[in-house]
Amino acid sequence: MKKTNQNETDSRKAILSISGLHKRYNEGKSNEVHALKGIDLTVKKGDMMAIMGPSGCGKTTLLNMIGHLDKLSSGKIIIDGVDTSALSDSKMTAFRRDNIGFIFQLFNLFPFLTAVENVETPLLLSGVRSGLAREQAKMLLRELGMGDRLYHLPNELSGGQQQRVAVARALINEPAIILGDEPTGDLDSSTSAEVMDLFRRINRINQQTLVLVTHNRWIAEKCDYIVHISDGVVSHIEEGIVNSGGKI
Amino acid sequence: MGLKSSFMIAWRSLSRRKTKNLSAILAVTLGVTLLVGITITTDTLKNSFITSIVQGEGEVDLTIMNVTQGGYLSITDQETLSSLVPDALGVMPELSTDVPALIASQFDPKMTLSGIPTAYPSAFGTFYNWKTGEPIDLNSLLGDNKSILLSSDEAKTLGLTEDSVLPVTLTTEFTNLSATVTPPTVPLSDWMVNANFTSAPFVLESNNTSLSLEIQPINFTSVVTIYTIECPPLNLSNYSYVNVTATGTPNAIVRLGFSLDNQSTLDVANLTSVAALDSSSFNLSSYAGRALRGDAYLTLVSFDGNPASINITEIAFETITQNGTHRVPIITYTPEISKVDLNVVGIYDSNRPGIGSQYKGGIIRLEYLQDWLSLKDPKRETDLISAFLVSYKSDHFILEINQDFLRDKLKQVENSIPEQLNPQTGKEEQLYKVTSNRLDYITVAEFFITLMSTMLTALGFLITLTGILLITNVQLMSVEDREFQTGVLRAVGANRGDIFQSIIIENLFQGIIGGILGLFGGLAFGQAVSIYLVSLFGTGDLSIQPVISQEAVILSVILGVVLSIVTGILPALRASRVKIVEALRGIKVEFKEKSSRNLAALGVLMIIGGIILLLNNGIIDTSTQVFWSSEGWDTLAEWRFLMMGFGLLTGGMGIVLSKFIDRVKAFNIAAITLWVIPSVLFVVAMGNWITDITGLSLEILVLGIIEIMIGSILFVALNLPILMRGLRGVLIKMGGVKGVAQISPSLISSHITRSTLTFAIFAVILTLNVLVATLIPTSLGTAIQLEDDSKGVDMVIFLNKPEAIIPGTNYTSELYKLDNRITDVIGFKTFSPSQDYTKYVSLSDPTSPDFDAATSLLPIGLGEFTTKEIRGNASNYLDPNWRYPFFLGDLPDGVREPDLSELSDADLEELSKKGWDDFFNTDYTMAAYNVTSGLLSIFSGETDLSELDILGGGGAGFGGSLEDPLEGVATLKDNDGNVIKNPIVFTDSFILPLGLQVWLPMNTTNGIPTYQAFTVGGSLDNQRAGGFPLAASLSIGSDDSDYQSLLGTLYMPDYWANQTNYLGEANGKTLTSREENQYNVYLIKTSLAIDDTQLEEISQKIEKFTNTNGEGYRLLADDNFFVASTSLIYSRIESTLELTDRIGSFLQIYVTFGLVIGAVGMAVISVRNVSERKREIGMMRAIGFPRSQVILSVLLELVVLGVIGLLIGTANGLLVSVGFANMQGVSLVIPWKDLGLYLSVIVLIAIGSGSLPAFVASRIPPAEALRYVG
Repeated sequence: MKKTNQNETDSRKAILSISGLHKRYNEGKSNEVHALKGIDLTVKKGDMMAIMGPSGCGKTTLLNMIGHLDKLSSGKIIIDGVDTSALSDSKMTAFRRDNIGFIFQLFNLFPFLTAVENVETPLLLSGVRSGLAREQAKMLLRELGMGDRLYHLPNELSGGQQQRVAVARALINEPAIILGDEPTGDLDSSTSAEVMDLFRRINRINQQTLVLVTHNRWIAEKCDYIVHISDGVVSHIEEGIVNSGGKI
Repeated sequence: MGLKSSFMIAWRSLSRRKTKNLSAILAVTLGVTLLVGITITTDTLKNSFITSIVQGEGEVDLTIMNVTQGGYLSITDQETLSSLVPDALGVMPELSTDVPALIASQFDPKMTLSGIPTAYPSAFGTFYNWKTGEPIDLNSLLGDNKSILLSSDEAKTLGLTEDSVLPVTLTTEFTNLSATVTPPTVPLSDWMVNANFTSAPFVLESNNTSLSLEIQPINFTSVVTIYTIECPPLNLSNYSYVNVTATGTPNAIVRLGFSLDNQSTLDVANLTSVAALDSSSFNLSSYAGRALRGDAYLTLVSFDGNPASINITEIAFETITQNGTHRVPIITYTPEISKVDLNVVGIYDSNRPGIGSQYKGGIIRLEYLQDWLSLKDPKRETDLISAFLVSYKSDHFILEINQDFLRDKLKQVENSIPEQLNPQTGKEEQLYKVTSNRLDYITVAEFFITLMSTMLTALGFLITLTGILLITNVQLMSVEDREFQTGVLRAVGANRGDIFQSIIIENLFQGIIGGILGLFGGLAFGQAVSIYLVSLFGTGDLSIQPVISQEAVILSVILGVVLSIVTGILPALRASRVKIVEALRGIKVEFKEKSSRNLAALGVLMIIGGIILLLNNGIIDTSTQVFWSSEGWDTLAEWRFLMMGFGLLTGGMGIVLSKFIDRVKAFNIAAITLWVIPSVLFVVAMGNWITDITGLSLEILVLGIIEIMIGSILFVALNLPILMRGLRGVLIKMGGVKGVAQISPSLISSHITRSTLTFAIFAVILTLNVLVATLIPTSLGTAIQLEDDSKGVDMVIFLNKPEAIIPGTNYTSELYKLDNRITDVIGFKTFSPSQDYTKYVSLSDPTSPDFDAATSLLPIGLGEFTTKEIRGNASNYLDPNWRYPFFLGDLPDGVREPDLSELSDADLEELSKKGWDDFFNTDYTMAAYNVTSGLLSIFSGETDLSELDILGGGGAGFGGSLEDPLEGVATLKDNDGNVIKNPIVFTDSFILPLGLQVWLPMNTTNGIPTYQAFTVGGSLDNQRAGGFPLAASLSIGSDDSDYQSLLGTLYMPDYWANQTNYLGEANGKTLTSREENQYNVYLIKTSLAIDDTQLEEISQKIEKFTNTNGEGYRLLADDNFFVASTSLIYSRIESTLELTDRIGSFLQIYVTFGLVIGAVGMAVISVRNVSERKREIGMMRAIGFPRSQVILSVLLELVVLGVIGLLIGTANGLLVSVGFANMQGVSLVIPWKDLGLYLSVIVLIAIGSGSLPAFVASRIPPAEALRYVG
């Protein structure tokens, strides 16, 4: 992997920095909802961060803002040194394709594509030759232990397997940051643990930055630190169980 | 939960899920629109076609005439007749006659002038002013015997416009019979000496008052004979005595006598003295029945040798009656044509509903026309009625034509006509004849549109199929849709029944709303089609009413609604069986077909059915010896069973096999077989094995097309994944669309049913479009071919009457002088018998006792061919220099060959020339054959048209058949057993079959024609160069639907024509007799090519030369009643093609309606698609699909499906067309232009219907799209 391993945490580059982020739904209308009320947050490269909070606090909204799956109302998001809030839609799409990987609670795999096809799609979008894309996708899936399920359709896979495919798809373009929206929300606890181990492995080996939204304390604790959101603002940041040496 | 809760759920789902409901309703609406629209269109087309044909009948249902040809009825008949039709709305007398009409230099040789009472029954409608549209008051306008009204049609013919200032003078001719009264006396002047019987000097004084003769005898045998040829041709039955007043010398002995019509003589005095001659009256009673021949003789001798003399002052024929002695004069009549100036006082619109449409000529008050026509009657009888018109309804123009009603009425009236003693025949007979032109026209029209209507119904049925496909498709989308929603409902406690109920209620609601909307849509469509039909078939202002047959429309709506419910049952069933957890988790639920055992049973049943069908036709049921026992599969009946049998067999086998082997393989086999059988029929069998298309019925056509479509669609559907993999493989190599390549093909093959239904819609529609496009060949053929077929003739000139006899010149020479590009003018004589039944052709022996003038006489045209017209200077077929060797379609005995289909044009021409040689050979005779013509028996009234088996052929004799039409037909034999042989005539008529024996009227004695038997020995080719140029072009819907000219003409060689008194001068000169070379039709050859535009200029030159008052030919002939109409051969062919083209373009529009539905259907599907895939679009956007690729992927799916449909449709359409092309012996014209058009239309439809929803979806923020769960 291209990013060099750095031991000095403080000197690590800020891969994501959010400042003054606001999101209002139905702006200007009577049913306006002020979902995010000024979020300021910095994530350093190689961080594995959890976002927690009660239902409706705006944690999914925040994740969508970071991935620019929705428009932000005001504020600034800088990813890997690029001010994404200033990008046009088409530039943002390309940026998202190359720098952000998404993992969803419902996996959001294309039901009509096989595992390997799902995984290779981002590569194809970046213009990689189809043969090469197929090889890379296979390799990655094998790495993730899905070597015997390459040509299965999503509905022929279990939840954990589907999530692995989703992870592979998120990883295939070697994005700067992976965003996970309740990635284990639809999985049972043992599968969730497997998936979390996978995330940790990716994080460790590749220095991959991960931002995971969860309401599961146990999952969150497996991250480096936990950002608590409440009523649209960051209420506090808590060290994860890993960083705190296994206590809490 | 119960029904109430089901309603609640249905209602909520209806009111909240707007897009989906709207699209479902829209689909049903479109489907029903299609069903209703097509039904209405088919009915309307038939009706409008018939309406345009019967519009000339106005409101007239029945016409009652005198049973004798050309006889009149009298006004006293009205009462009797009215009692025969008690339920009629109106009965109206009418007198009509054809007169020439001239306004300024515009001339119509045959304007129908009708006399009607000004107070006619209101049931017949109103005359409307052409210009203002106001009703016309006949009473005030038709005030005197010179005032007439013109129809707008006639006005246009005569060069008037709406704005012409009236009154205008219209010059016409009436025949005025001038009587010459000759007293029954022998004129005393103009007696001459007969030198053969004169042997002495004499003195003859012959003047108006006395005849005196003196003989100066030389000896006792001296005699003087004088004679006159000026005796009136008295009928001696009318006279009792001959009374001679004479004085003379006593020694004079005289003989006075007359020649009689039977070669004998009548001697009033036979060597008697003058005194005896003077005193006695010669009794004529023994001479009753004889007539004077016209010559009288007087012989004078002297019995004593001295000069003797006689002085006659009167020779009179006298009659004794109770009132004394009379001298009954002879009155002879001479017809004189007198020119009369009439005043056109008004013009009525003959193209709008009302009585005006019934009279295309002019009208005049009945009494005045009676006066005019009585001029030609020696008795000056004024009580003349041609016919009584009967109307049962007053709104024929807006009501559907009811044939059964008319037929009933006709029969009813026919049966109630009382029999009376016919003074002419002495038999009890029905004296009235009742006809219904309306009924006849409808039946004739039906005859012509049967095939077209078959086509329409077949097309309509197949187009309707697309509506069904559309509804099914949209409903099936619900299957996938329902799962999540149903899972939730089940989770909260709804049971299966509730869910089933709620979905059915929802479908019912959608079906009803869609059905109602579709009904309106269909009605609107029907209305639009009517408007289009008016413009297409040019029926003027006459409104064509859309025919909305209630049953058909209600049935369509019910079908649409039922369909939407039935197709909804499957989703409802599936939804009710949903496994709650899986549905909620969005896991794709795979439904294993529970009914696979039932399906296999169905398959077995189908196999059994197929086998039974195949065995039954020939083996089990030997009475239907269809395809096993007879050699070759060469009839359409065989193919019907082949297709049905093998269709069932292979379909069933596919289903059964699918239980054992791979489903795809099993069905592939079935699909290919299904497709191959009709393909063999269309490509190989038709035209090669099957040469007779007459049995082509709706069901074979539909069956073939349906099998070919199901086969091909199934085949493509089964192999769609392979196809899509290929497509992906191609696209993925292209930069910029790799993402699209990844998504669209997979999407298509993942929803095979939906994709299949979508492309199937287009496949069906395009099959029909391509079929129609290829069926209507629009090419004119090459000009070179036409020039050859027409034998160099470029135009025809018709004169309204035979050319004038002008000393020193003739019309032909004048034409040569007119333009030096005219290289040959071939004059012909033709004659139309009009209403002169003594010139009608008889179809049975007029001398036989069975002869019935009412059914045997045919008012067909007669004409002459001379050897110089056809052969020119050539002596026989070997001589290459023929002048006009027009092709023959049917050939006489001795020339005919069993199979003409393989012959080259040159061979055919040689055969034709041999036929012409026989025609001109006065020694040649041909056997008469036992042939009848179905059409003929209709025209002669023996058969009702409705009883005719049209598609069964029945020897309709359309000519140009490729096989020997007389093969196996018996010849006719006389009483001695000898084959009857006659001289031959040729014909261009389509109703007279080859070999038919006909009797042509020749010269006339005592007003009765002498008939000569002929055999129809050949027909002029009716295909080449648009048919024989003198024949009327048989295009229905054209304005000049002159019944007689449609019947065609019989041509005899000059040898026989010269023995007639209408083409020759057999009885001396009469009004109709013709001098040699006194032609009325001219074929013109020019130095120009047949399609040269300069020909138009020549034709105008000729018309100007002939048709200008006081100039050119009219000046030469000193007659302004000459008119020439020219027609170019090329434009005749063009106009025939134009009609075909119109019908073609109508069919095209008709099937294009299906394309429109396809387009809207695609829009519905794409809206549904996109709205269902919001989430997937969100995913695409999330992993980095640019908006453009999102839109592209949606569009690509639609374009690909459209193009698949196009390819299947094109292939199938061409396959079917190949059959028809082979059958007609023409090469298949592939309509590349149309195909290109369809391709672009399909792509445009796909892009148009997909881009808006795709664009909208691509604008939705991915986050929102991802939240969508259906």
